[in-house]
Amino acid sequence: MNAPALSPATPAKTAPAARVGIGGPVGSGKTALVERLIAAFAARKVDLAVITNDLVTHEDAERVRRSGLIDPARVSAVEAGACPHTVIREDPTLNIEAADDLERRFPGVELILIESGGDNLASTFSRDLTDFWIFVIDVAGGDDIPRKRGPGVLKCDLLVINKADLAPHVGVDLDGMIAEARRVRAGRPVIVTNCRRSEGIDAVADHLEREVLFRT
Amino acid sequence: MPIEALLLALQHGDSAFPSGGFAFSWGLEELVNDGWISGEADISAFLADLLANRWHGFDRVALARAHEAPDLDALAGIDRAVEIATWAAPMRAGSRRAGRALLGVHARLSGGPVADYRALVDVDGELGHLPVVQGLVWRTAGLDRNSSELLSAWTMAQGIAAAGLRLGLIGHLSAQTVLTAARATIARLAAVSPPADLTAFTPVADVALSRHARRDARLFAT
Repeated sequence: MNAPALSPATPAKTAPAARVGIGGPVGSGKTALVERLIAAFAARKVDLAVITNDLVTHEDAERVRRSGLIDPARVSAVEAGACPHTVIREDPTLNIEAADDLERRFPGVELILIESGGDNLASTFSRDLTDFWIFVIDVAGGDDIPRKRGPGVLKCDLLVINKADLAPHVGVDLDGMIAEARRVRAGRPVIVTNCRRSEGIDAVADHLEREVLFRT
Repeated sequence: MPIEALLLALQHGDSAFPSGGFAFSWGLEELVNDGWISGEADISAFLADLLANRWHGFDRVALARAHEAPDLDALAGIDRAVEIATWAAPMRAGSRRAGRALLGVHARLSGGPVADYRALVDVDGELGHLPVVQGLVWRTAGLDRNSSELLSAWTMAQGIAAAGLRLGLIGHLSAQTVLTAARATIARLAAVSPPADLTAFTPVADVALSRHARRDARLFAT
């Protein structure tokens, strides 16, 4: 086929945004982490956008849009066709399209957070979709979760253990859980958070600034 | 069929080929939610209707024209004709979204004219319809027109059967029964020349798809 006769407008050249996945079981606090990170990165003057992969509704996207923390147009929702694994791993095409679309609409966006639909411990992100991915578990899910060695816990770039404040109420040995997580991950990063009180959020934002945005 | 051509068709017709297609039900989810479709026979009838009254006279025609388009100007013209001939806005949006997803994958894989068309589609909201993109990317990949037409019908059938499975309507064995029936329908239609002009009449699917677009709680993009 010949070269195009129609010349598309060439947008100003900007560096592509870093794409960071956030996965984890249902109810572990992924959306809460996204909300806290939006505020943290706003304070750090990071140009941000968000994609959510709700399983059935656009509830998470609406929750983030209505948070008042971010321009609602910077939040996109992608349907997962009842396959929350597939849409972030085997066929992340629709998420890539959504991220490309955000980059076109907001030139200069530096960081795109891609929140997976709630899933189980087996979910992992395609490296073609994300540059870095976080897996969120919570203490209320049980302190045996790291020991189960799910691919999400083992393979993520950063493991977040959320709801640290609940440990004494659900009979969880938090120190033991953290040690077990570090052991099964062979020393790779683990950060403990309490998203409700914004505890540990700066540590996550620092980590992303250093490892993903290279701001150090 | 030469081995290389068969392998090429198998790769591009594989449901594991990343195209975002698994997230589209083309009205099926809404018909299930509304109680119009409730089992294997209903899904088979729905699919047969789509194949006969959308694929054969519309998708197939647009794909064939796209496959033979001499340049990207001509391709864009076919794309605009599809935009104009698709009366339901959610159907237009779904077709563009599915097409752009497939186009994005191939632009990354093969570059060249596919990437050039992707750049064009990025700045033109009317372009990127699925059958037009299929014609472009499959021709570029080396598939002949007949194979491309059959792949288009097959991916439609496969997508509907898989959606029915994930909606809990049929089991994995019933899904294969649906596909076996679809294979016969596709073979019968493929043996007949398609109409000269873009021709589609699937009011049930179109209305369902339009209703689906207004529903907040949904699993599928269409």
